[in-house]
Amino acid sequence: MKRIAHEAVKSAARIAALSMVIGGGLAAAAWAAQPGGAPPPVLQSETAGVTPFQGLTAHDLTYSGLDGVTTGGVRIIDGDTARTVATVFSSQYANFAWAPDHRTLYISETYWTLGNRGTREDVLSIYGGPTLSNEGEIALPGRLISDPKTHTFALSADGRYGYDYSFQPAPAVSVIDLRARKVAASVEIPGCGLVFPFGKRGFASLCADGSLAVADVNAQGKYAVHRTKRFFDVMTDPVMDESVSDPHSGLALFTTYDGWVHPVHLADTPRFDKPWSIEKAAGLSPATSHVGQITWRPGGQVPFAYEPSRHRLFALMHEGPPWSFEKPGSEIWVLDARSHRLLHRWDVPESAYLVAVTQDEHPLLFALSEEWLWVMDPDTGAVLRATKIVTPGLARVRGGQ
Amino acid sequence: MKRLDVDKFGERLTRRLAGRLSRRSALARLGALLVAAPAFPLLPVQRARAADAATAGQKGTDFSRAAQTHDDTACNYWRYCGIDGNLCSCCGGSTHSCPPGSQPSPTSWIGSCINPDDQRAYLIAYRDCCGANECNKCSCLNTDHAMPIYRPQANNHIIWCFGTQSFEYHCSMAVLVGLAE
Repeated sequence: MKRIAHEAVKSAARIAALSMVIGGGLAAAAWAAQPGGAPPPVLQSETAGVTPFQGLTAHDLTYSGLDGVTTGGVRIIDGDTARTVATVFSSQYANFAWAPDHRTLYISETYWTLGNRGTREDVLSIYGGPTLSNEGEIALPGRLISDPKTHTFALSADGRYGYDYSFQPAPAVSVIDLRARKVAASVEIPGCGLVFPFGKRGFASLCADGSLAVADVNAQGKYAVHRTKRFFDVMTDPVMDESVSDPHSGLALFTTYDGWVHPVHLADTPRFDKPWSIEKAAGLSPATSHVGQITWRPGGQVPFAYEPSRHRLFALMHEGPPWSFEKPGSEIWVLDARSHRLLHRWDVPESAYLVAVTQDEHPLLFALSEEWLWVMDPDTGAVLRATKIVTPGLARVRGGQ
Repeated sequence: MKRLDVDKFGERLTRRLAGRLSRRSALARLGALLVAAPAFPLLPVQRARAADAATAGQKGTDFSRAAQTHDDTACNYWRYCGIDGNLCSCCGGSTHSCPPGSQPSPTSWIGSCINPDDQRAYLIAYRDCCGANECNKCSCLNTDHAMPIYRPQANNHIIWCFGTQSFEYHCSMAVLVGLAE
């Protein structure tokens, strides 16, 4: 044992000596390469600073960590290089959204004065400027504390208002005037939850009886709430929390556990299009909640992404029984939400929990597993690049929901 | 692990409660429960879940077909059909008690699971233990009859720490409420 160790030390010493000889030789060769054999100039001293933030680009992905599994924080990754651009602090159970200027980041979060106890403070934190630094907070009357859910916080399409879903446990939506930096209204939505913005100041929420609550300001400038007809059966096949919506057009694609897509044009009087089945679009029988039926089903944490300009719906799909709606996807199905046709089925390198697609002319598709971000070509399914990530909670792109 | 004898367990629990709790304490707790009742309407939820469970009980579920009744530290233990989080049984507690350092929430969501031993559906209260850092052991995600967040009484993503001193999630219990029939 000692002998081996002694030999190892001797070998290490030899390698070190050799390195010094080689290194010295290279340094001498470099000196010789300088004009007139002069040594290289002394490196200049530096001043530490912050890399200027250029704003969220069309190919950037912003994601948060999964609470309980990793630390919080809102992180930006450049999809063109798969390199990290920035990280902004957040509490556990936070949600976030970018203003239309692509430079201002709003984080809906909760703190306690003594860490796990003390006075609770629910705030909308504002970050921005050239260094993406904190620019203050707006006090909120309450929030929902839950695992990450995309539709617990959203902005109006013009970025003037923020909507924060609160569950204390009475359900309500705080409407935040982002220009005045104050809560403008607290709208009670009994029996309903989540927030899907439409128009200038309107929002819709999904309800436990299978209907929608629609809220908008009336002639007196106050919010009025009314219920629509029931359009899905919550007990047999509920609409997923993570259904996608496009705040610019008001189109929501409310999708059920069994893969039925209910297109709804959100407005004061919403228009309900005929539902269609993701499985039928692929030539399969529709999924049902019958025990033992193993078939392709949508699933994951954020299982859908939507590209409004081409009407493409991206769905994480897995083969599983009923009630497996949180299983990660082994494939991404690309569907035409207008013609209800399946366009492509792409394999993902590792089962993915989240999917996102950029909203520009040359889009990138993102698939996020527990540890990896895969940047893909949405037209070919090719994996362009990958990077290791902290376990993701939510993901958003520029101009997305 | 020892098989759970419900009768003996029930007897032990009753005797222990009777031995430890004064009548005043029991009345105080009952009073608190009555005060909290309007905020957390358990009974209608129980009835609704019971109706579900009765239907489910006739057919079983994909989870119940593979569930077992002897190891409450495994994710496929029968009561965990809708659990999401760390099993308190792996953190110093049990299916119905919080680990020391944490506090049971008086609120919960209600699920129903089928016991493979008698093929009957039981109501299960998934109650979180709060106040300590996340246990991070035996993390399970089962979703039998788990509902979206807009139907909160059957949702396992909400941090059910209402009514405790802290919203810090530690682990989840699966407390047997009774038959869902």
